[in-house]
Amino acid sequence: MEMFASRTQRGFTLIEIMLSLALTALLLSLLSGGMYAVMNDWERDTDVLDDRLDETITILQVERALKGAFPHSYRDDTTLGRAIYFQGDDESLSWVSTVSPQRSGGLMAWHLKSQSGEGVFLTLAPAMSDNPDERLSNAEPIVLLENYEATFSYLYEDLDFSKQWRDDWAGEELNALPLAVHILLTPIDNDNTQIFEVVANIAANTHRSIRATTNGSSGAPVTTRNTPFGEL
Amino acid sequence: MINVPQLPNHHQTGFTLLEVIVALTITGMVLGGLFTLAAGSKQLAFRSGTSLTRALEARAAINFALLQDEYSDVEEILKPTDFESHSEDRLGAVLRKTEQITYALQEFEVVNERTDEVVTGTRWARLELPE
Repeated sequence: MEMFASRTQRGFTLIEIMLSLALTALLLSLLSGGMYAVMNDWERDTDVLDDRLDETITILQVERALKGAFPHSYRDDTTLGRAIYFQGDDESLSWVSTVSPQRSGGLMAWHLKSQSGEGVFLTLAPAMSDNPDERLSNAEPIVLLENYEATFSYLYEDLDFSKQWRDDWAGEELNALPLAVHILLTPIDNDNTQIFEVVANIAANTHRSIRATTNGSSGAPVTTRNTPFGEL
Repeated sequence: MINVPQLPNHHQTGFTLLEVIVALTITGMVLGGLFTLAAGSKQLAFRSGTSLTRALEARAAINFALLQDEYSDVEEILKPTDFESHSEDRLGAVLRKTEQITYALQEFEVVNERTDEVVTGTRWARLELPE
């Protein structure tokens, strides 16, 4: 009885199974295709956001290092006078900062260089009591901002207190730090039109005791000058 | 003769149309929710990128405003942005001071007209004559 009964039970035909499998496969492939597109989009967005965050942190760190610029002076071997280390032109800048991105504190010589078409590079070297140029040239540059070119300007205060931007700054001739540094970051690829600007007011200019000496043998970079806090 | 019980056709029950519709709706709602979440985070990522940019712009504008005061001009260098800086009143003279000073504190504000953001601060202004 049972056997007969089970023989009459109809299962799915081959056609039905194949049809349903094909439909399921079609649906799954559609779904996975959609998910793939969504995930790709997601990855791209987070990558863009990550890059933007990195750029922002980099820019803020550079601004901080410029704000903390220090009138580091060294003995000029030819003139035997003391010269301030702050050399800038429109596409590169070397200075000594109280800000050190490394774990060890202390004065650090920074060198920023904008290579056209390649990005902005940073070199770091410890600033001893001498001219840190040679140590900077031996250090390995790292890529700071990959897709940007930088243009530097330096704020100069004239004797009549008018302030002008100039595109170079020779610390050994001017024997002073600029009031501020402006960096214009222009993107290298044309489809990205976002420019960035950095204005860093050098804090040492308003400090009443940090002044570079250009005479005297001690070389301690401290003298006094008329400041917002009165003449000292 | 053995009577083979024939399964009557009308006893076979598949899904009814109503059940299928309900199931499809639920699936669609769950999937839709997932995609909305993804789109929402995309928008969030985009917005955070823009506000990072705006924060940097504002920072440059504020730093530039700190360099200015109404008595000595600073050559303009920033590219035009939504941020504009205005000079406000000078803070009142101090009650007691031992010598004349050539600097006064002055309020300034940096305004973004488009987003109604206002940043206020004080800066040193160099006076023409010591007070």
